[in-house]
Amino acid sequence: MARRYDSRTTIFSPEGRLYQIEYAMEAISHAGTVLGVLAKDGVVLAAEKKVTGKLLDLSGEGGYGGSGEKIFLLNSNVIGGVAGLTSDANSLVNYARTAAQQHLLSYNEDIPVELLAQRLCDMKQGYTQYGGLRPFGVSLLYAGYDPHYQFQLYHSDPSGNYSGWKATCIGANNGTAQSLLKQEYKDDILVKDAIALVLKVMSKTMDSTTLGSEKLEFAVLTLDESTKQPKAKIYKPSEIDALLRAEGLAKTDGDTEMKSA
Amino acid sequence: MSRSYDRALTVFSPDGHLFQVEYALEAVRKGTCAVGVRGKNVVVLGVEKKSVLQLQDPRTVRKVVMLDDHVCLAFAGLTADGRVLIDKARIECQSHRLTVEDPVTVEYITRHIAGIQQRYTQSGGVRPFGISTLIVGFDPHDARPRLYQTEPSGIYSAWKANAIGRSSKTVREFLEKNHKDDMTREDSIKLTIKSLLEVVQTGAKNIEISVMEEYGKVSSLELEEIERIVTEIEHEKEAEAERKRSRLAATAAGQAAMSTRAGAESSG
Amino acid sequence: METSFALTGKGYVIVAADTTAARSIVKMKVDEDKIKEISPHLLMAYSGEPGDTVQFAEFVERNIRLYQIRNLYPLRPSAAASWIRRSLADSLRSRSPYSVNLLVGGYDTATHEPKLYWIDYLGTQVDVPFGAHGYGSYFALSLLDRYHDPEASLEEGLATLKRCVDEVAKRLVVSPGRYKVKVVDKDGVREVEI
Repeated sequence: MARRYDSRTTIFSPEGRLYQIEYAMEAISHAGTVLGVLAKDGVVLAAEKKVTGKLLDLSGEGGYGGSGEKIFLLNSNVIGGVAGLTSDANSLVNYARTAAQQHLLSYNEDIPVELLAQRLCDMKQGYTQYGGLRPFGVSLLYAGYDPHYQFQLYHSDPSGNYSGWKATCIGANNGTAQSLLKQEYKDDILVKDAIALVLKVMSKTMDSTTLGSEKLEFAVLTLDESTKQPKAKIYKPSEIDALLRAEGLAKTDGDTEMKSA
Repeated sequence: MSRSYDRALTVFSPDGHLFQVEYALEAVRKGTCAVGVRGKNVVVLGVEKKSVLQLQDPRTVRKVVMLDDHVCLAFAGLTADGRVLIDKARIECQSHRLTVEDPVTVEYITRHIAGIQQRYTQSGGVRPFGISTLIVGFDPHDARPRLYQTEPSGIYSAWKANAIGRSSKTVREFLEKNHKDDMTREDSIKLTIKSLLEVVQTGAKNIEISVMEEYGKVSSLELEEIERIVTEIEHEKEAEAERKRSRLAATAAGQAAMSTRAGAESSG
Repeated sequence: METSFALTGKGYVIVAADTTAARSIVKMKVDEDKIKEISPHLLMAYSGEPGDTVQFAEFVERNIRLYQIRNLYPLRPSAAASWIRRSLADSLRSRSPYSVNLLVGGYDTATHEPKLYWIDYLGTQVDVPFGAHGYGSYFALSLLDRYHDPEASLEEGLATLKRCVDEVAKRLVVSPGRYKVKVVDKDGVREVEI
């Protein structure tokens, strides 16, 4: 019975629901966690990498080396974190970058963060209404800065809805992460503390017991001290490990000994 | 049986239904409630606002939007569909000004929106918009407030007061009972809030009110203002209940007195 | 002959344009407003081919208004000027280009700075402290070089503008009679008399 309303084109079920969207969201709730926290002086994003392996080349810039599976630079003032089908996400990231450059071409300014989120959402909405195609199986977090609303964090889902957040999480275990964030988030949090909060929540929600650069992507958007322009920093694996050591969350020799014992 | 009829919208089912349009209306019925009330020279839009989550930015949760200086819209149903339709309407508002140098009339933009909604029930490979809208405003050089409604089917209609979304039937019945012609600003706002309270149990914090008093003059009420009116309504309700109780008590006492007197007379 | 001036000062931009609508050697009208308020903190003085000017100005006005309605905040002066320049540049490369020269002056509410852009029909855009279009510019620019002060008060700015207007009246063969003068600052747009 239900199959009538859940294949191919997105159409209404008799109860007025769009099953394809609901299924897409279901797919995302199994994807790697992506977490964002808005601070007074910046925004922090972290993501759980799913593609891992001993022989994976993490040295390069592209592909899955370094970062690039889940966290992307969308424009000089916006970082995006994606959860869901990676291939869908790649095309959305490409679309976002094009939209941002188009805005730059027309207005000679960085695209306002909300406008970029809206652009993507309009496209996502389109795929739920016409064309005979399935919706995008991707949720995104946008961490950005613009002079209108300063630092911002947005979330968009496959239906083409979006909303602004102080701290939020998409992907697997997002319920746990949300409630942790709710408890720990303070309104005037600084980037320094936001980084610690993000890592703490990630370490509690991820499947593995210890955090390491092979499972984690990390990025921070702040304002450059001298130019007052937004500065996006996507961490390299070595930097992530260094950060984890500094926060006392990295693998220690003690752990390995325990395991081997 | 109905399998092939609700997939392609251009086709009627044997009993004359357009299933997708009817299902879209179901999506509207799941949406948050919105109420429009027309007074003498004011028109009020009230919407049920879902509680903003603790970590959510309330700025990004909008239910009532401006289409132009003099037209406001509230919708119920799928938010993303709403955003896209609103964008189309906003473009038309400016485009209309550019071509004929006049702002749109409220009916014109309603007809335009309904037209778009209708197209999506007839073109191939698309589903209808899962939203109903309430459109309010003033026409240029005209003091009469306007209130229109559109539906996923593309039907549009003018109203003195109406509701869309969750429990809209209950609210509409309430409005039918309580709406009067030529209400003042205060009465219109009060009726809007009162009717919303029929479905919104959580009170003022989940109600948003926009008031348009004349061409281009729109304001939204502060939370304190809505709270004040909600308490006022509650007091009135209590007073009403109290009156009812005392009336009941009075009649009961009266009856009791009658019966004792009757008893006394018969014994006397 | 069409003439427009604009100059920045401390927290404001003054934009002035003549009010003559002429065709060939005949004045058709002497109270034409050639400065459009295209958003709460943005002014645009336009001159050039009659017809093109109004058509283009209205097109700009509606698009900038649409941006504001969609995003709840207006475009910043720099972004608006860039968009306008691009529209002109695109039109120049189309079958029927607009022949319009513009002065776009605005107050940037994000950085609290007055901004002025000089744009011509070829799609040239320059960020300037003062600027002028038309025959009047031949007389005004040297005066502005001499007297313009970015820290000047509004009164001083208007006095400088008066010098330009007087000089044009004195030297130009066919000088415009009246000017419309508008000021934009943190409080928005208003018209002033000189």
